[in-house]
Amino acid sequence: MPTTTKSSVLIVDDEPDVLFSLKGLLRRDFQVFTAQSGAEAMEVMAEQDVHVIMTDQRMPSMTGTELMGKVRAEHPDAVRIIFTGYADTRAVVDAINSGELYRYISKPWDPDNLIEMLRDAAQKYNESIAESELLDQLDAYLTDAVQLASSDDPADRDAASIEKFKSRTDQLRGYLQCLRGSDA
Amino acid sequence: MRASPVRVLVAEDSKVMRRLLVGYLRQWDYDVVECVDGEEAWQRFQSETFSIVLSDWMMPHVDGLELTRRIRASQRPGYCYVILLTAKTEKEDLITAMEAGADDFLVKPYDREELRVRIREGERIIRLERELVEQNRQLRETQAALVESEKLASLGQLAAGMAHEINNPIAFVTNNLAVLRRDLGEIVALVDKYEETRQYIREAPPGLMDELAQIESDCDFSWLRDHLPELLRSSNDGLSRVRDIVNNLRDFARLDQATQDDVDLGRAITTTVEVLRHEIDEKQIHIDTDLQPVPTFLGRGDKINHVLYNVLLNAIQASPEGASLKIRLSPLPEAARIEVEDSGSGMDSETLGRVFEPFFTTKPVGTGTGLGMSVSYGIVRDHGGTMSLESQLNCGTTVTIDLPLASARSSKSESPA
Repeated sequence: MPTTTKSSVLIVDDEPDVLFSLKGLLRRDFQVFTAQSGAEAMEVMAEQDVHVIMTDQRMPSMTGTELMGKVRAEHPDAVRIIFTGYADTRAVVDAINSGELYRYISKPWDPDNLIEMLRDAAQKYNESIAESELLDQLDAYLTDAVQLASSDDPADRDAASIEKFKSRTDQLRGYLQCLRGSDA
Repeated sequence: MRASPVRVLVAEDSKVMRRLLVGYLRQWDYDVVECVDGEEAWQRFQSETFSIVLSDWMMPHVDGLELTRRIRASQRPGYCYVILLTAKTEKEDLITAMEAGADDFLVKPYDREELRVRIREGERIIRLERELVEQNRQLRETQAALVESEKLASLGQLAAGMAHEINNPIAFVTNNLAVLRRDLGEIVALVDKYEETRQYIREAPPGLMDELAQIESDCDFSWLRDHLPELLRSSNDGLSRVRDIVNNLRDFARLDQATQDDVDLGRAITTTVEVLRHEIDEKQIHIDTDLQPVPTFLGRGDKINHVLYNVLLNAIQASPEGASLKIRLSPLPEAARIEVEDSGSGMDSETLGRVFEPFFTTKPVGTGTGLGMSVSYGIVRDHGGTMSLESQLNCGTTVTIDLPLASARSSKSESPA
C-alpha cells in the first residue's frame, strides 16, 4: 500500500520562472524537484527517487522527447509527462503513440487540471510499484512452493512451516483479490 | 481581323478632299466621323473616343497643328494616333508637326495605297499600345494580389512568433495567480485568526500593539480581505482573454498538424447554427438554409466549425433585427461551396480590402479581437481552400468558402510557420 508521504515530481524547463511558478503550485501536494535542462534532470533522477517527471518539450540541447527516451531506458518506473507549446505537437503525439509518454499537457496549462493529472500520474506510479512488488512476491512464493513440493527434508513439513506457508498463501490471495476488485 | 471597327476622326475643310478620304476609309471598314474644321474635330474628340485622327494642316481658326497640340494635352484615356495631311514639303514643316505631337505626316496629293498603309501603321501602333495597357493592368493586379498574400503570410509569421513567445509568460503568470489565490486565502485566514487572538494578548508591549493598529489601518485590511478575490478573478479573466488571442493567432498562423477526419459539412453548418441559436433568436433572425448533399471533406472538423462560427457570427452581427440569413452548401467539381449571405450593413471597398488582416476590426474596442476573419482565412487556406467576400455598403455581404474534396491538397508545407 502507498505510504502517506508525498509523491515526488521532477519538473524540467529551461525557463526558471516556469519552474518557480510550478514549485509554488505543487509544493503542498508533492515533493518537488526542478531542473533547467535534460542533463540536469538526469542527474536529479540518479540521486532522487522520482515518481513523476514532467518536462517542457522545447529546450536547447535536449528536447523533452529525447529526455523521455533516456528516462524510459534508465528509470522505467518513473511516469513521464510532457508539457508543450503548440508547435511541437507532432513530436509529442508520436512519443505518446510509441509508449514513451503517459500524458501531455499543453501550455498554458490549467492549474487545477495539472494537479489532478499529476495525482493520477503519482497513483499510476504507486500502482505499478505495487504491482511489481506483488509480482516479485508471487515469483518468490512459486519458487518456494516448487522447492517444498520436491523437498525430502521433514523439517520443511512440520506444522510451523506449513502454517507459515498457509499464511503467505492467504496474504497473496488477499492482494490478488484486492487487485481484481480495483480492476472491476 | 478586327474585333470592332477602328474609329477614325477626319478633320478636313475641303469638301472634295474630305469626301475622298472618308470614301476610302469606309471602303476599308473604318468607323469614320467627319468634321469640317479643327474646332468641330476638337469638340468631337473631347466627347468621344477615337483611335486615329486624320487632320488637314491648313484649316481656319483651329488648324491641324493646334488640334494636334490640344489632343496631346488632353487627358483622354488611351493613345490616339495623329496623321497630318499637308501640301507642305519642307523639312522644317515636318519637324514642327512632329514636335506638336503628330505621329505621321502625309503629303498631298497622296496616293490611295500610301494612305492605306500609313493608316494601317497607325492601327498597328494603337493595337500594340492597347496590349501594353492591358498587360500593365494585369501586372498591377497580379502585383496587388501578391502584395496582399505576402502581407498576410508575413503577418502570419509574425503572429506565430508572437504566439510562441507570449505563451510561456502567460503559462507561468496564470499559474502564479492560481497559487496566489490559494495561498492568499490562507494568509487572510491566518490574519483573521490573529485578530481573534489579539484580545487575549495581555503582555504585549504597547508600542508593538500601536504598530499593529497602524499597519492595519494603513493597508485597510478589511477592504483587502473583501477585494482580494475580485482582484485575482479579474486578473485571471484578463489573462484568459490574452490566452484566447494567442490561441487564435496560433490558428491563423498554422494548422497544428493533428489528425484529420471526414467532416460532414452539412452537419457542421447545422451544429454551428445551433451553437449560435442564442444570438440568432435575440435578433429574431430568420435562417434560410439550402444544404445540398456533398461528399465528406477530409480536414479538421473543429477548425471548420471555427470558421463557420466566425462567418455566421459576423453575418448575424451585421444583420438588422428580423432580417434573414441565407446559408447554402453546394457541390462543385471536386470541391464543396459554402455561401453565407446576409442583408446587413455591408462594407465599403476599403474595409473589404482589409477584412483578412489580423487585428483589423470594425467592432467597438473590447468586443472583437480583429482576428476572426484572419483566423478563418488561415484555416481555409491550410485546408487548400479559398475564402472570398463580396459586399456593398448597406446591401449586405456574401462570404464564399470553397473547400477541395479531392486529394489534391498538398499545400500545407507552403503555409507560413
